Amino acid sequence: MFIVSSRRRALCYVKTRFFADLATSALVRSFDADSNIMADEVEQQPTTNTVEEPLDLIRLSLDERIYVKMRNDRELRGRLHAYDQHLNMILGDVEETVTTVEIDEETYEELYKSTKRNIPMLFVRGDGVVLVAPPLRVG
Amino acid sequence: MAMVVNSIRERTITENSMVILLQGLQGEVTTVDLRNESTARGRVVNVDAFMNVRLEDVLYRDRLGQLTQLQDLFITGRNIRYVHIPDHMDIMKTIESQLAKIHRVRNFGSEGGGRKEFAKKTK
Repeated sequence: MFIVSSRRRALCYVKTRFFADLATSALVRSFDADSNIMADEVEQQPTTNTVEEPLDLIRLSLDERIYVKMRNDRELRGRLHAYDQHLNMILGDVEETVTTVEIDEETYEELYKSTKRNIPMLFVRGDGVVLVAPPLRVG
Repeated sequence: MAMVVNSIRERTITENSMVILLQGLQGEVTTVDLRNESTARGRVVNVDAFMNVRLEDVLYRDRLGQLTQLQDLFITGRNIRYVHIPDHMDIMKTIESQLAKIHRVRNFGSEGGGRKEFAKKTK
């Protein structure tokens, strides 16, 4: 049985620099969030250039470098290649920063440590994502 | 080995999210970072619509760095944090070929007047 939930338009974009001939947003698919799709509605709807919903703001950052704050004190900085309605993302050239707090036994002062690592191409599961923003400017 | 899932619901979920790229990873050796800070590196056997992953010939490193060799590992989709995509993969091509597979299965019966996957909308 299909779960008929309220119909939300969810957009998935894949715009990559690997595709030189597709100048504007490359592969655009729009679909309903519930699994019940009628055959007539499977035709792809054209890209809207207007910002209608919060996910459209992420669409504006496609192929740009972004900053992603994740759960468990993690941050990612990388180039956004693709995303979907769950905020699963494909990031290229990403630098992951994990921040830990160590408390000194005697002085009880907090020592913030961060570990970084670089990954060429990463698929990020959306449920770990807290926020998406343009990269932070220093200062 | 099933190339496309047999459930209509799973096919639709896959078609509408980025899991389709992970399904294209089947047969590749990748590293999966789990939510519990451990990592599993092995060959992807199967990924379903809910991102549950089955790996084979796995090197499992727990968060303390301890290594374990496993022949078969099943990871629940919820427990995945990252999936490393191999450098040589063409993402667009993989997604397009996966979508083509789904559409082929979906249109299988319709040309010969067989049963269509989705009911035609009656106005």
